[in-house]
Amino acid sequence: MTGPSRPNTDQDSSFIFDGMRYPARKGDTLAAALLANGIGLVGRSFKYHRPRGIMTAGVEEPNALVTVGEGGRTEPNTRATDVFVYDGLVARSQNRWPNLSLDFGAIFGLAGPVFSAGFYYKTFFGSAKRWMFYEHFIRKAAGLGNAPRDADPDRFSQRAAFCDVLVVGAGPAGIEAALEASEAGKRVILVEQDEIIGASLIRDPQEQDSAWVSESADRIRAAGGRILTRTTASGYWEHDLVTLTQRLAEPGQIPANGVAQRLWHVRAGQVILATGSSERPMAFPHNDRPGVMLSQAVRTYVRRFGVCPGQRVVIATNNDDAYLTAHALREAGAQIVAILDARPAPAGQANGFTTFNNAHPLSTKGSRHCLKSVSGLVDGVSKSWDADLLAVSGGFTPVVHLHCQAGGSLEWNDAAQAFVPAQSRQNVKTIGGAATPAAIFTSAPVVPAKKSFVDFQNDVTLADVDLAWAEGYRSVEHLKRYTTLGMATDQGKTSNMGALARLAEKQGVAIPEAGLTTFRPPYTPVTMGLFAGAAAKDAGAHKRRLALYDVHAAKKPIWQPLGYWFRPRAYPMTGENLAEAAMREARSVRTAVGMTDVSTLAKFEVSGPDAVTLLETVCATSVGKLAIGRGRYTFMLREDGFVFDDGTVWRIDENRYLLTSSTGGADRMATHLSYVRNYLHPELSVSVVNVQEHHAGIAIAGPRAKSVLAKLIGEEPPRHMSTVATKIADVAVLILAASYSGERAFEIYVDARNATPVWGACETAVVAEGGCLYGLEAMEFLRIEKGHLVVGAEIDGRMTPHDLALDKMLNKAGGFIGSAGLTRPALSEAGRRQLVGLEAVEGSIPEGSMLVTADGKSPEGHVSASAFRILEGGSIALGQLADGFLRHGEELIATSPTRGQRARVRVVAPHFYDSAGERYRD
Amino acid sequence: MTEVTISTLPAAPLWAFEIWRNPDAVATRFAAAMGFALPKMGTSGGSDALRLIRYEPTVWLLEGDASALPSILDTDGALTAIGGGITRVLLSGTGWRRLLMEGGVFDAESPAFAVGCSASTIIDHVNIRLHVQSEESCLAYVPLSYTQGILHFWQEAAKALD
Repeated sequence: MTGPSRPNTDQDSSFIFDGMRYPARKGDTLAAALLANGIGLVGRSFKYHRPRGIMTAGVEEPNALVTVGEGGRTEPNTRATDVFVYDGLVARSQNRWPNLSLDFGAIFGLAGPVFSAGFYYKTFFGSAKRWMFYEHFIRKAAGLGNAPRDADPDRFSQRAAFCDVLVVGAGPAGIEAALEASEAGKRVILVEQDEIIGASLIRDPQEQDSAWVSESADRIRAAGGRILTRTTASGYWEHDLVTLTQRLAEPGQIPANGVAQRLWHVRAGQVILATGSSERPMAFPHNDRPGVMLSQAVRTYVRRFGVCPGQRVVIATNNDDAYLTAHALREAGAQIVAILDARPAPAGQANGFTTFNNAHPLSTKGSRHCLKSVSGLVDGVSKSWDADLLAVSGGFTPVVHLHCQAGGSLEWNDAAQAFVPAQSRQNVKTIGGAATPAAIFTSAPVVPAKKSFVDFQNDVTLADVDLAWAEGYRSVEHLKRYTTLGMATDQGKTSNMGALARLAEKQGVAIPEAGLTTFRPPYTPVTMGLFAGAAAKDAGAHKRRLALYDVHAAKKPIWQPLGYWFRPRAYPMTGENLAEAAMREARSVRTAVGMTDVSTLAKFEVSGPDAVTLLETVCATSVGKLAIGRGRYTFMLREDGFVFDDGTVWRIDENRYLLTSSTGGADRMATHLSYVRNYLHPELSVSVVNVQEHHAGIAIAGPRAKSVLAKLIGEEPPRHMSTVATKIADVAVLILAASYSGERAFEIYVDARNATPVWGACETAVVAEGGCLYGLEAMEFLRIEKGHLVVGAEIDGRMTPHDLALDKMLNKAGGFIGSAGLTRPALSEAGRRQLVGLEAVEGSIPEGSMLVTADGKSPEGHVSASAFRILEGGSIALGQLADGFLRHGEELIATSPTRGQRARVRVVAPHFYDSAGERYRD
Repeated sequence: MTEVTISTLPAAPLWAFEIWRNPDAVATRFAAAMGFALPKMGTSGGSDALRLIRYEPTVWLLEGDASALPSILDTDGALTAIGGGITRVLLSGTGWRRLLMEGGVFDAESPAFAVGCSASTIIDHVNIRLHVQSEESCLAYVPLSYTQGILHFWQEAAKALD
């Protein structure tokens, strides 16, 4: 099958298909190389496991799906027509066992009548358990390639681009448009999914030749334009945002710079679509054999790749374009046995071939690997020809996907029997073959519907369309879902129009009245890694590092993700597990002293003469009476009256305050403050600056914290809820006396760049007092035992100040955000869930468990956080319970059926330790 | 191959300079005292000793010696230290514009983003402020916690800039 213009070159390479090594030529697609090596059987069909070959030469290929690459670079379901051979490419056929030639799954083809449209729906009903049983066998028998088990070793890039004109498609029309725009001084991007631009001119030489293509590309680049090959415009979004997927390496290939693919986000002033059209197959029995190809694809293989896919060729057509294929094949030395032209005479007769008018293909015969004969109807009379290739052309379907994704409408072109772009909703226009497809002759040949495939990828035949109609499926959308027509990797690029025509015929309406399914992105399959981009390797986002990260890392802590932050969860000593380490650390805080990193807390400096006004708008507690150097606990409400964050507010100067709030809510609080400052109260003389990262924070807590701090600062430490500006290790610090642990405690804030020496001095002093570092786990034990709240657990967006027993702290003057919302009667009604403490009567209390009065009863609350008493032992928890304030002393069951855990609990006050707060006051 | 060098600069005093009242009067006092005007939105101004980048309608990022500014602001604005939370990263070489398009949403390749321009944008989900120093260098102000992540991101992206 080697064509005349396929000389060997010194750039030849080799590839492996199903374990056999074959030669290839530079520039070959895998499909071209397979054809050049005489391989006709490339895959097995989805449902019936019918032998399939190569049908097209582009991304619309429904048959020749292969798995390319090895290990983590494995890419299943790759179209052999859309991967360019590189030296060492490894490809495997799919959906067959034990091998492609002898596939036991082909038995499903014998039972084809059973596996008609809707087979699953009609067969696999009953309980869900049954489906779990069926599913195992269905997935084994039907399907495409297997996803790789190994992680992809390559990276994926995402890049933004802006341009005045984006041209999609680098055929002659696209190249001309890009050239004109770029030389008019516009920023231009020209994208082409092929490896080269102007490829259609190789297939169909025109006045513009390869020299014109090369010169045009040079001129576009010289004018500042950018040309991206192996790049597909995969999605068109609002505001002329177009996403491009660019292959920097072929599937399975090791990328030169580590980046396999790039996702471009292009914001274009104007988009020009020169996307051309796809050729349509014809429906007739056994139209899916290896050796039945689309006419233009045959021409492409002959002229571009120097591969002649057959020597005795029958051509079936309803248009003039197929005669170009006949000429190309004859030039390549093939014999044109017959041309079946659906049009009446004298159409096509002048081309000098054996042409039959009023002729249609009727069936084919052949082996698993190749075609042997073609039969047809000529003026109603059956004829047959020996042939190893049948080239068909059923007309052309404009590629209108991007136009439709952009919200554009379509109109019916009767001459071409195709939908073409009409109104555009965005700044986009379609040019070239996609706007003006060639005219075809319409006829509706009467052929048997069985084994007349319309959707080759999903094994949907005319008989399936007829069955769906007979069973009442009238909408094209229902037809699609019932038969699976137009699904999977090709998304119906070759099938939709054929099926639509059949549906319209059944309905007795014109095709446009039958409707059309929706074109959704992506145009061709996009690997998931590309959507994740660089973050594919890092859980979706960058890790946020503490300013003291290196200090902690040297101590080899157990790290804990907290939002995007990573914080030490515990600092285990040799032989300790997490629970042991955390309990040791917590006991140190209760009995001596401990220190921890609190840098991630949200922090805002609020300054100006109107600072109090702003703070009393945001905070639900009063602020105005704070003296300089004093602070207090505060919390913030949403407009609906529910608590959404809490923290402290400190007056650090006459008109300057420091507001702290939770780590997890930091970004939300920054947005909220910006909203209040800039939208609700732009008139205020106030500045709100996010200083979360400017200050590193160190907390020292425990009965010996005061003496530790006194030694560090050389003076009497501030009393509880007071602040002082001083120095530690000769570095300026701000010390806030506040406690989260329930012990006497201090938070030390320092310019993050100077935090290391301060941390070092504090650690030395803490250790000297018999203390240690503690992490998040110990902090959680401490705060639960003390009954302090945390955002995300007790403050979960559903609790009012009253539910959390914070109502006595509300600013009686009102005026804060949420004060109006709080007056709603529903927020005062009985039955609301309220904060309670829980202590175990029997067992350990599972965190997140439901609170029920007895097994089988509906939940009346849940456990928001659980821990153990630090010194005395015993399981304790905080929870939310309906009418919880009135139920102290009641016994309940805390149950977690999904984990098989339960405990008997007693409802108590949510303070298990020093409820009077005596330990943190001097 | 497009070239770009990524280097972290030493820490510098950085401030948020905000005017909440009488902006014209403050601008006049500022120009009189400092010898240059407060830069407009999307631009920077000043000298190596004191540079201001306007990134919000009423807020400038100020780099350098701010000792004279409280008296200029008087009661019409505030100065707040923010330098502890920001790393300055210098992108130099012909490829800095293309590098900023990686994971970006902002048109750093636009000729309008010229020397003296500034921008506050998002790069790979991280808020970053940019200041074009010259045709071959751009200064990026990166949040401290994201510095390691962004440096790694840029270093990897720089290998495949094309």
